[in-house]
Amino acid sequence: MTWISKTITVFGGLLLAHACYSAQEHSALQSLRAATSTLTSSSPTAAALPVDIAIETVVATLVILLGLVLGTRLLRPIQWRVWAGKIEREGEEGFVDNEGEVNKDYVGNPYRILETRPGFVDIRKQRREFAQWVKNGGSGGAGAQ
Amino acid sequence: MTSIEREFQIAPIVQESVVHNSRTLFNLQSLTASLFGVGAGILGLESYYGFLFYIICSLLTTLLFYVLRVAPSSLPAGKGAFDTSQYFRSPYEFWTGGLLNGLAGFILTWTLFFGLVRA
Repeated sequence: MTWISKTITVFGGLLLAHACYSAQEHSALQSLRAATSTLTSSSPTAAALPVDIAIETVVATLVILLGLVLGTRLLRPIQWRVWAGKIEREGEEGFVDNEGEVNKDYVGNPYRILETRPGFVDIRKQRREFAQWVKNGGSGGAGAQ
Repeated sequence: MTSIEREFQIAPIVQESVVHNSRTLFNLQSLTASLFGVGAGILGLESYYGFLFYIICSLLTTLLFYVLRVAPSSLPAGKGAFDTSQYFRSPYEFWTGGLLNGLAGFILTWTLFFGLVRA
């Protein structure tokens, strides 16, 4: 994907550079002709740009525009449910950039913390064990004095 | 609670995605605005024609961006044509935000290339 957009952009850039150089040469030629034609009293025509240079400029602009738009990064859905669903379905593959690498700011499943947290702690069992430990005089373990 | 707040409670928005999308569009518009300045300078446009050129090209950029980036995934999702609500919060920000973003860059390169070509 990326080489298509880059190729199009470079091609458009070449066209644009060529059009720019042509326009500059045309302008220089016109000023030269205006300077030399004062003797021959020809009509001082306005230095209108030739139509082929104009067409080339517009085409080059549109070609570069197409290349740049093709080179933009993919968008992400802004609604949370759409976005989370996309992550669930596609995983990292849905967040690769044009070079085929995963985006640096890809955070993965937004509900990861909820899904990987430890299960419920049996607090009553722990209390019973603590009570047992106290009843035994606190012997053994770190709490022994 | 207003209706907008309720809407956000029902369908929460991912701020990172909003920032990502806006930045993508902003980068594109800044780049292309300079490009249009080059084109306008080469064409030798003056006064209102230059700004008209910029407005038309900027709208064309947004349209092309919509066709290539927004439409392929928003149309199958059931959105209507020219509906950008899947990726952008307000349609005005999407369709006309670029006009002011790139104006300075446009004028910069416009005057530069006008001077280069017509010197």
